[in-house]
Amino acid sequence: MSDVKVVLDDDAPIVPLIDDAAPTKIRVRKRGRITKWLAITWLVFIVVSAIGAESLPYINHSCDQFDNRLECVTGTKANIRYSERPPAWAGFSDSPQSGEPARYGLMGTDKNGFDLFARSMLGARTSLIIAGLAITFGLAIGTFLGMLAGYFRGWVDVVIENLTNVLLSFPALLLAIFFVTFFNDPNTSSATTRPLWPVIVSLVILSIPPLTRLVRANTIAYAQRDFVVAARSLGAKGSRILFKEILPNIVPTLMSFALTGLALLIVAEGALAFLGLSVEAPTPTWGAMISFGTTPLRDGSWWIALMPAFMLFLTVLSINLLGDVLAQRFNTREAIS
Amino acid sequence: MQYVIRRIAQTIFVVVLVTLLTSVALRFLPGGTDVLVVLKTGPGASPEQARQVISDLGLDKPWYTQYFNWMHDFVVGDWGTTFQTNQSIATAVKRSLPISAYLMVYGQLLALSTAIPVAVWAAYRQNSRFDRLSTTSAFAMLSLPNYIVAPVLMFFFSVKQKWIPFPSTYSSLFDDPVAHFKAFVLPSVTIALPLFAGYMRLLRADMISTLQSEFITTARAKGVTTRNILFRHALRPSMFSLITATAVNVGALMGGVVIVEQFFLLNGMGRLTVESIFRREYPTVQYAVVVLALIYVFVNLMADMAYAWIDPRVRARRALS
Repeated sequence: MSDVKVVLDDDAPIVPLIDDAAPTKIRVRKRGRITKWLAITWLVFIVVSAIGAESLPYINHSCDQFDNRLECVTGTKANIRYSERPPAWAGFSDSPQSGEPARYGLMGTDKNGFDLFARSMLGARTSLIIAGLAITFGLAIGTFLGMLAGYFRGWVDVVIENLTNVLLSFPALLLAIFFVTFFNDPNTSSATTRPLWPVIVSLVILSIPPLTRLVRANTIAYAQRDFVVAARSLGAKGSRILFKEILPNIVPTLMSFALTGLALLIVAEGALAFLGLSVEAPTPTWGAMISFGTTPLRDGSWWIALMPAFMLFLTVLSINLLGDVLAQRFNTREAIS
Repeated sequence: MQYVIRRIAQTIFVVVLVTLLTSVALRFLPGGTDVLVVLKTGPGASPEQARQVISDLGLDKPWYTQYFNWMHDFVVGDWGTTFQTNQSIATAVKRSLPISAYLMVYGQLLALSTAIPVAVWAAYRQNSRFDRLSTTSAFAMLSLPNYIVAPVLMFFFSVKQKWIPFPSTYSSLFDDPVAHFKAFVLPSVTIALPLFAGYMRLLRADMISTLQSEFITTARAKGVTTRNILFRHALRPSMFSLITATAVNVGALMGGVVIVEQFFLLNGMGRLTVESIFRREYPTVQYAVVVLALIYVFVNLMADMAYAWIDPRVRARRALS
């Protein structure tokens, strides 16, 4: 008789059926948690330093001997005394320049005598602003187009799908380069500081097709679910179904994809900057710093290129790790329900 | 069969759109046609010269006429000359294409020949130390852009140890094999690193699910050796997504490795395109980009076809849906 009771009771807790794999899973998760927190710590550190790059106490700009410190910090005035010094900890490496000091700072200095750690933090600001804005706009537009295509199907779908196919059939970097040069006004590009928006717009264009594809596939999957059919039979309008029923379900997948996208866009911005197409010289970005460092690299001054490269690598790695963690979490949830 | 027809129709549509967009792209240049005239003739062109330039480019005709003329020239091979230096565009593309192809082939070979054994072993000993090490390093490699890898390799192999000259000059495989490989080894490794990571993760995941199927248990029960189980029985059914990824990368690598080509001074398709963009040689950009896009589209089509042909399940599933 007790069996019948359990069946009738709707509020009975659902007992997990198989729990064999639990011990090993906990061990794996714990290791994942440590790397996850390391990644989060690093990203918080980078974001905070990027915001306060001019004023935070642990960021030394190697500009102390100047009366007008700001000129040196913003990169308009070179600091010859500290030119090309290796990092303080690199006892094995000698500076190609003679004079005091022999070594300087956590990451050494570049040709103009700027502290590379401070420059990297200023560069983090540019790179993060560009990539962050680009992925935000890309997400908004991509989600909108993808949901339209996936929900209404028909000619909307055909048009959007073919447009994404066309954009995807060009090599991504070439497309970005083309758009940046296309949007940059040829008359002002070298004389004055180049604006940010051409880079952002080209990265947005780059990020739209894959996001549209992802959202479209997810929308198609959810549009056939019972709760959407129920909403429709209750007389809900298309816009209500899209934004209240389908969108909340796509958001988790989108978030993990957006993190991966952010990492990809930071890399892409670096690539554009490496080719000299991002923001103009006094404003540092990681890609441009690496690019400037490749010439001294040939003479053995390794730190100028490799230190910003290290910062970029750690940041991209952290973002990818977090994206992976999110993806795993939401995949398991999807698998359970 | 219906699937094949639909896929071909889709490809044709994309090809038409791609060629259409690139052929009329000159109309949308910032600054308009004046920029083109100045580029061709220098500043202070007479109205006659200007009209001549415009009509040479077909910009005085409606866009559909321009498109058909352009397509005709493209198919016939009459690609004209560059704007400023009057060199043949077709020759430039012909010179760059094999360099890109070499780079692509070496990168793919390097990545595949390392990724397959590593992935097979990692999948066989899942969660072992080797598995964790290779998965973690693959994950790290995916976060390592090629403009970091290239300088690092250059520093260690050309500056610290002077094994490979930098920049090395390109020479043909048949004229001087040693110099040829010296020029290609560092760029190929740079390209192969992220490819290796991607392939390894893909194959490892597929291999793990294959190794759980019943025919593997049967093979083991029959007494087949581990090596034969892994490479004869399990590898082939696990390779499908790897094959697709390889094919997609063939197209992507032909023009998408601008940075590697630029850094190692290899005159491949990517470098040709970018240098032409920088120098505002728009006709060269048009032809190079169209060639790249066509390669990409056709390789993908072939891959999808081959995929459906090799694996009967794909055909069946797509026919049902």
